[in-house]
Amino acid sequence: MDNKWEMLEATNEDREKIWTKNRTFAGDVWFRFRRKPTSIAGFIIIVLLILFAAAGPLFTEYSYSNQNLQVVNIPPRMKVFQTPDKDGYLYITQGMQVLQVNTDGTLGSQLTKVREESNRMMTIFDCDGTEVALYYGQKPYVIANPQKNTIYPSTELWNKSYLLGTDNLGRDILTRLMYGTRVSLMVAFVAVIVNMIIGILYGGISGYLGGNVDAVMMRIVDIISTIPLTLYVILIMVIMGSGLQSIIIALGTVYWVDMARVVRGQVLGLKEQEFVQAAKTIGSSTKTILLTHLIPNAMGSILVTVTMLIPSAIFMEAFLGYLGIGLQPPLASLGTMCNDATENLRSCPHQLFIPALVICLIMFAFNFVGDGLRDALDPKLKK
Amino acid sequence: MLRYFMKRFGMMLVAMFLIILLTFTIMHAIPGGPFTSDKKVSEEVEQALNEKYHLDKSLPEQFFQYLGGILHGDFGPSYKYTGKEVSEFISTGFPVSAKLGLITIVFVLLAAIPMGILAAVKNGKWQDMLVMGAATIGVTIPSFVIASLLIYFFAFRLNWLPTYGIDTWKGYILPIIALGGYSLSYMARLMRSSLLEVMGQDYIRTARAKGLSEPKVVWKHAMRNALIPVITVLGPTVANLMTGSFVIEKIFAIPGLGVYFVNSVSQRDYTTIMGVTIFYAAFLMAMIFIVDMFYCLIDPRIKYD
Repeated sequence: MDNKWEMLEATNEDREKIWTKNRTFAGDVWFRFRRKPTSIAGFIIIVLLILFAAAGPLFTEYSYSNQNLQVVNIPPRMKVFQTPDKDGYLYITQGMQVLQVNTDGTLGSQLTKVREESNRMMTIFDCDGTEVALYYGQKPYVIANPQKNTIYPSTELWNKSYLLGTDNLGRDILTRLMYGTRVSLMVAFVAVIVNMIIGILYGGISGYLGGNVDAVMMRIVDIISTIPLTLYVILIMVIMGSGLQSIIIALGTVYWVDMARVVRGQVLGLKEQEFVQAAKTIGSSTKTILLTHLIPNAMGSILVTVTMLIPSAIFMEAFLGYLGIGLQPPLASLGTMCNDATENLRSCPHQLFIPALVICLIMFAFNFVGDGLRDALDPKLKK
Repeated sequence: MLRYFMKRFGMMLVAMFLIILLTFTIMHAIPGGPFTSDKKVSEEVEQALNEKYHLDKSLPEQFFQYLGGILHGDFGPSYKYTGKEVSEFISTGFPVSAKLGLITIVFVLLAAIPMGILAAVKNGKWQDMLVMGAATIGVTIPSFVIASLLIYFFAFRLNWLPTYGIDTWKGYILPIIALGGYSLSYMARLMRSSLLEVMGQDYIRTARAKGLSEPKVVWKHAMRNALIPVITVLGPTVANLMTGSFVIEKIFAIPGLGVYFVNSVSQRDYTTIMGVTIFYAAFLMAMIFIVDMFYCLIDPRIKYD
């Protein structure tokens, strides 16, 4: 065709045809969702965290429970002293022991103690045949030459054996962080799915049946929502004992009230619409109408409520872990890691900051994604 | 209005009864008696113990006895500390917690409302970004993390404030910030969005059109309606602060009710857990009830059915 602007003969078929590409509902949501940079950032963070938690443990040589009391409370960045023969470094542990550190930053073995010279405030260690002294007459402690009374030159090194350091039982923090993230995410997801199922069924039945059933069911929800739920989660934990299962059950059975309300509101609006009437006319059962017509249509709001519930579940799990009624050791979650770290906050703040940072990242990410999803699923709500 | 009040009050009583029933049932569903332990106790001693704590009666009888006790402010004896009553824990711990909570609420209101107003008035400018950025951070960081960070920087590093105890006014600063951080951020956000919404309404345009100064429009016309949602969340905020104080009291070693609760949980002191839970629940429900009633009084647009 030479002239692109030439009139074509319009047929009836052409007039009816939709020329642009069809966009599905999901595509539409994705289109609106990705316009918000914060939502995309949150989404990417969540994917990375899931990868970190799921695949991370494959790449680490440590286990979350293996204790190594020789390397307790080692920070990610260590202050080290040069050995007398200058082919390595020495690190003073908090237990007043001396560790060998290789030049690349990996940890070696502990030095053997030779004798104690308390009048000179020194502990003498044997370093490859040479005697070195840990001088504790000044703070911070230093490694000195016991003969000449000189301090060996010091420098700072990144810890290559334990990238994020070790905790108070000598466990690798990075590995524990992977397992902790995994546990926290898993608890949150499972608890929220349980909540979702209970809430959908409860709200769906209440909204669809209406009348007295609705009145009674909603009155029950009203009463439950006045009960401070944190107390009940704690109470359930007390009876069932601490552990992964009990946390999931405690969180899963308590927070469905909001979900039930959301679903009920949606169902109330939807059930008057024509497609439901049509389904009724052709004789669909209540169950079919509820499960195949009403709930899929309410999925948007359900999804938003779910993404908003996940951070509160993670928050609650961390809260319980922090109170010491969460998981049984040695199992780690982000909350229990924070709890374990509070004892030596003064000397090893990194032990607290690292899991706390991950908690904050998760909370941020899910909040942003929830916000984005709400705007994307329901543009009417957008202010 | 009176009808609505009575209805809400009745609902609160029913909920309270259910809470007591639920707590009682849960606590008695735990297998083994409170004195089951590794040590073998002679039968007479066990019987005497059971009699002393009324465990020899049937469950419904025990329940009504317990219920009657609660109405007289008697939550029964502690299982772990012999000779101590649960109500003693409550009467020593609660005033401390309540004082901390009250100061925190005042602090939250005094800080959140101006922050929200500032953000709304300067909508889209850097002040708005700053306040909302801080508020987003405040909503997402758990209180125990805030508390630990505050302790690390202000107590360990800078040595300005004490790490624990509330003997001096300085001791209150960190717990209040840590405890109120979430509510503060949440309320500031709420204040902002509600003020923005009100500012978009017709009567505000009218007020501006008749030549009122901007401060007068904001303070006299917009604020009255914009404050209502903030007042509504006061009830849940009290609840939030109360449960949040478990952790904060533990971190800062404040001898409040939260510490008793947490300790009783870890020591499995069942009567104390039961008593403190019921007390907390009753207190929180009463607070929410009061706030709701107050809310009805100040907002004439609300219809009571």
